[in-house]
Amino acid sequence: MNEMFEAPQGRRMNALSALALQGAAGAVFLAWATVAAAQDAKPLKGDKALGEYLSNTCTGCHQISGVSKAGVPPIVGWPEDQFIAVMETYKDKVRENKVMQTIAAGLSKEDLAGLAAYYATIKPTKGAAQ
Amino acid sequence: MDFNRRHILGGAGASLGVLALGAPAVLGQAKPRVVVIGGGPGGATAAKYIAKDSQGKIEVVLVEPKKEFTTCFHSNLYLGDFKKFGEITHTYDKLASAHGVKLNHQMASAIDRAKKQVVLADGSRLSYDRLIVAPGISLKYDSVPGWGKEHEKVMPHAWQAGEQTKILKAKLDAVPDGGTIIMIAPPNPYRCPPGPYERVSMMAHTLKAAGKTKSKIVIIDPKPKFSKQGLFQEGWEKYYPGMVEWLAPDIHEGIKSVDPKTGTVVTGFETYKNSPLVNVIPAQTAGQIAIQAKLVDKSGFCPIDANTMRSTVDSNIFVIGDASIAGAMPKSGFAANSQAKVAAMAVRGDLTGSRVFPARYANTCWSLIEDGDVVKVGAAYAAKDGKIAATSTFVSKTKEPADLRKQNVQENLGWYAGVTADMFS
Repeated sequence: MNEMFEAPQGRRMNALSALALQGAAGAVFLAWATVAAAQDAKPLKGDKALGEYLSNTCTGCHQISGVSKAGVPPIVGWPEDQFIAVMETYKDKVRENKVMQTIAAGLSKEDLAGLAAYYATIKPTKGAAQ
Repeated sequence: MDFNRRHILGGAGASLGVLALGAPAVLGQAKPRVVVIGGGPGGATAAKYIAKDSQGKIEVVLVEPKKEFTTCFHSNLYLGDFKKFGEITHTYDKLASAHGVKLNHQMASAIDRAKKQVVLADGSRLSYDRLIVAPGISLKYDSVPGWGKEHEKVMPHAWQAGEQTKILKAKLDAVPDGGTIIMIAPPNPYRCPPGPYERVSMMAHTLKAAGKTKSKIVIIDPKPKFSKQGLFQEGWEKYYPGMVEWLAPDIHEGIKSVDPKTGTVVTGFETYKNSPLVNVIPAQTAGQIAIQAKLVDKSGFCPIDANTMRSTVDSNIFVIGDASIAGAMPKSGFAANSQAKVAAMAVRGDLTGSRVFPARYANTCWSLIEDGDVVKVGAAYAAKDGKIAATSTFVSKTKEPADLRKQNVQENLGWYAGVTADMFS
């Protein structure tokens, strides 16, 4: 199991956890569900152009095609609030991955909203494992 | 073939008339051209992103003599038999077919900054509106006494991946049990990857896997300390006890000379004879073309604007990757990929008026110590007080749980797939 997919430490676990930990999308959904329930969901309207620029940092590891290899999960096509919620858990150091914590540390709410707006528009290419 | 406005304007009157009628070649209205020198991690990424994001508004020419590129990153995994040579070698075909980058497989021999032209090996010239210089490093062959370019097949550096990497691997595989490998480590600043200390780990792994545990690797280091030192030394002790000896300058008392004919390395403290493999990693500077074009300062590397990677010497030129002075960023392929995307944005801003955002950079370096054990160090960066400075950093810790190190192994493999797709497809 990759550390990125670990359930957030110190957060309320629920019955979805076993299912969620089976895959990246599931784990991400769990994080989103847990966090979204705990806070008001009033997402900023993201600046897509800013997000596209900031995605340059993501594409050094996460493929824009949605193809995923080994320990780097796909991040394209997520709902915006889900994307932001997951990144917030790295920013808060609730999720363990050091690379993601370091990247997330420098991203403001506007940055995250922009990234989420951009990535929500990207569809995985045919054949990309999700 | 250099077909540009200058030639059109300088042509015969009749042709000028026809061309002027068919295509108004007024300065500022023709399609701007970006030339990229060097198809490594930085150059390939910059060429791709400028072509892709300008959506045909900018002509991009990538000047790179090689048709295949072998990455320095993960070349140590090839030494350790964790990857095949083909898995670390890539072509440029997709940059052309998917993004419209024009490939020019020649060596760039000079930059004529006054005329804004790149002179190619065949003597032809390519005009540019903006130039990306990404030549990587050049090796200072005179920095190790007794060693030079003529000895690089006998005492390989393998610091520019390709044939050199294969030579090093063949010599490593031929080391007899009981043989002593000598690595002469590089002084700062140096290209990394290939990390010298990951390389040592992979050499030790290969020896151990072949049952040659009486062999040793001695590192003669001009530096008193190195990155991730505690992590590497812990790993060497754990996996390769007695096989790796790291000597700081106050211990070896200086590298006096090497003799490629006899496999001899002389330090102030000891003489090593008949070494079956001496890996000489010399001092480094920016690639020669950057030096010739006077884009370097006295450090031998190129000063840049931290927000754009634009040369502080010439505003039409951007220098990215190992050749640049990128503040706190290391000379890694990851860093070059990150810098390339900032430069690409700035170039598009110059030529098409697209939006330009404050620079963000990132880097992570993973190092494989032994099968299932990867350590990592990384940071996010931004421009601060005119320099690229780290805004957030991390590094693996000694005595970490084994499962965390195993997760790093998977992350390292996933990153390689991701970053090479970002560069070459």
